[in-house]
Amino acid sequence: MRYASHLAIAALTMSASLIASAYAADPIKVGVTVTQSPPGSVVQGTQVKDGLEVAAKMLNDQGGVLGRPIELVVEDTQGLPEKARAAVEKLITRDKVVGIVGEHQSSNVLAGMEVAHRYHIPYINTNGWADAIREKGYPEVFNPNNYNRRVAMAAAETIKKLGAKKVVSFAENTDYGIGLAKGIGEQLKAVAPEVSYRFDTLDRAAKDYLPAILPLRSDPPDVVVDVMLPPAAYIMMNQVYEQGVAPTAKTWFYDASGLADYPDFWQNIKEAGKDLLVFGLYHPKMKAPELAKTVGDAYTKKTGAQPNRLLFQAADSLLVLADAIKRANSTDPDALVKALEATKYTGTRGEITFSSEPGYKYHQWLDIPYVTFQVTEIGQKVADSPLVEQPGQPLDPSKLARP
Amino acid sequence: MLTGALAADLAVNGLVTGLFYGLMAIGLALIFGVLRIVNFAHGEFYMVGAYAYTIVAARLGVPLVLALPTAFLFGAALGWVVERTLMRPLYANIGSWGLMRDEYAVIVTFALSLLLVNFVDKAIGPYAFRAPALISASRVVVGPALMSGQKVAAALVTLAVLALIAFFLRFSYWGRAVRAVSQNRLGASLAGIDATAVSSLVFSLAGGLAALAGALLSPIINASPDVGAFPAIKSYVIVVLGGMGSIPGAFIASLLLGIVESFGAVLVSYQYRDTFGLILLILFLLFRPQGLFGERGREV
Repeated sequence: MRYASHLAIAALTMSASLIASAYAADPIKVGVTVTQSPPGSVVQGTQVKDGLEVAAKMLNDQGGVLGRPIELVVEDTQGLPEKARAAVEKLITRDKVVGIVGEHQSSNVLAGMEVAHRYHIPYINTNGWADAIREKGYPEVFNPNNYNRRVAMAAAETIKKLGAKKVVSFAENTDYGIGLAKGIGEQLKAVAPEVSYRFDTLDRAAKDYLPAILPLRSDPPDVVVDVMLPPAAYIMMNQVYEQGVAPTAKTWFYDASGLADYPDFWQNIKEAGKDLLVFGLYHPKMKAPELAKTVGDAYTKKTGAQPNRLLFQAADSLLVLADAIKRANSTDPDALVKALEATKYTGTRGEITFSSEPGYKYHQWLDIPYVTFQVTEIGQKVADSPLVEQPGQPLDPSKLARP
Repeated sequence: MLTGALAADLAVNGLVTGLFYGLMAIGLALIFGVLRIVNFAHGEFYMVGAYAYTIVAARLGVPLVLALPTAFLFGAALGWVVERTLMRPLYANIGSWGLMRDEYAVIVTFALSLLLVNFVDKAIGPYAFRAPALISASRVVVGPALMSGQKVAAALVTLAVLALIAFFLRFSYWGRAVRAVSQNRLGASLAGIDATAVSSLVFSLAGGLAALAGALLSPIINASPDVGAFPAIKSYVIVVLGGMGSIPGAFIASLLLGIVESFGAVLVSYQYRDTFGLILLILFLLFRPQGLFGERGREV
């Protein structure tokens, strides 16, 4: 009995020391650049950071990667490209991170990836939609997230299905806004050349968009497209509604930025949100891999909030990098880039692979699933909104409710 | 193309926007008139008012008609504290007003601006909040224009407050004292006017007016930590256009800026909307540096 208890103690001590040695090993540092303070979108930054922390905890609970824990080193960019650039420089040179994840603003990705390219460090773009990011053709940059051309194609198809003849977009004055607004125009030329399309660029810092909206009152379009992000988008949407421009029986309001799942959407939008058509990268009624439920539950436990698209994009960014480290059995940049190029990983949204075609397809997960849903009640949760377009299927106009 | 209906629409909206600019700018003009300093934290009083109204009305459930004066009082109290603690060193122990240290005011008010923005960002959070509207109707017909009920209510309250301010400055003892100190601080002091108390009053009034503007507009322009930047910049332009320290000048310049921005955005381009005010500013500085109602300084 005495020997048995000694053996048990020895076994426990050895197990503990083994676990301790795994965690005593140097952590694998992963750099994170997110917006944590204004003027950038802190809402997005917080969702991304939470998603990364959920994924990091999952990995560490499973013993880490290559026996080493993942450590996130977070830098606040304030949504400013110059700060994003400095943050990536600091993360690579001072913190010695093996890769960068988390950036959620195109302008910041374009700034930060230049530094990652210079140091040849993998850069996983979590939410930069601008096609220019891919068109640079940097081997270190990988995009398991949405891209402007994808939204532009979706918007053009939706507009065509709605039978619209005249369309106006309100785009914010950023790489994202202008890039997507132009892309929608190009796609419309291809799929519905009869549609008359123009876009107005609005200053994100402005608070009054009426002079841009008022001319639409006398000559309303068939569709108004939102290509702006909060908080400016909320002001614009309220003013478009206040002026009786959209949503109306004549004019649809199509939200290409997918704002309806933002946590502060209903704090800022009231009647203007009803009847909105929304491009969505996540909807609880979508089919998703089992991992989505695990990650979603962990996120709800951590934050008390419902899962959202940025959570899954952030988690996938880190999980894809961790998968590459495992397959490369190394954190060497060359080996990591090679492993990332060969990615075939089932994340929270489907099987992620990266295209090697040049242009906007370069290192892009091309088949990102998306949906279109319609908000039919004020204050409606995304889960309760009807899906009018399932992933991979065309929009069904018979499911739409006219204002 | 500019039709009659669109022109009328732009004119009404421009005038209403100008009224809101006026409510902000008059406080700044008062401060400059009396203290001869530019308050770089003026926009943050607007932000504080927006949050005070939102929190008091939406979170604490205080009736909206009481929440508005609460926001004003909050801004006024903050203004009073700032004047007592940060502005007093400007003129304490200095015999002559001419020795006032301009750089002190610039640094202190700029630091206060950063402090307030970051404090609210950390204490309340970076999320934008939309406050409850005084009139919940989303669309109200005002002549040729469509507006939200809140905008109409805010415009009416603004008009009433501006009229009250004009009455106060013209007919009350303290109003006359403010005008006297703004004309000649030393002379007013020699005539028995408490210039220090006037400074305190002016800072409180300016803080209260900016906070009231923030409260009135918070159901339209959602409260966020950086919401004060845009009205502050407009106010600086207006104060120079109207003539540094001139209250009637600031009022006329506010309406002028609202109209110019409204029409310019349609006739020229919306992209340049914010540059119209700056172009006006440059033209005034070149050809009429004293502004609309300011006085040219004596030169020797």
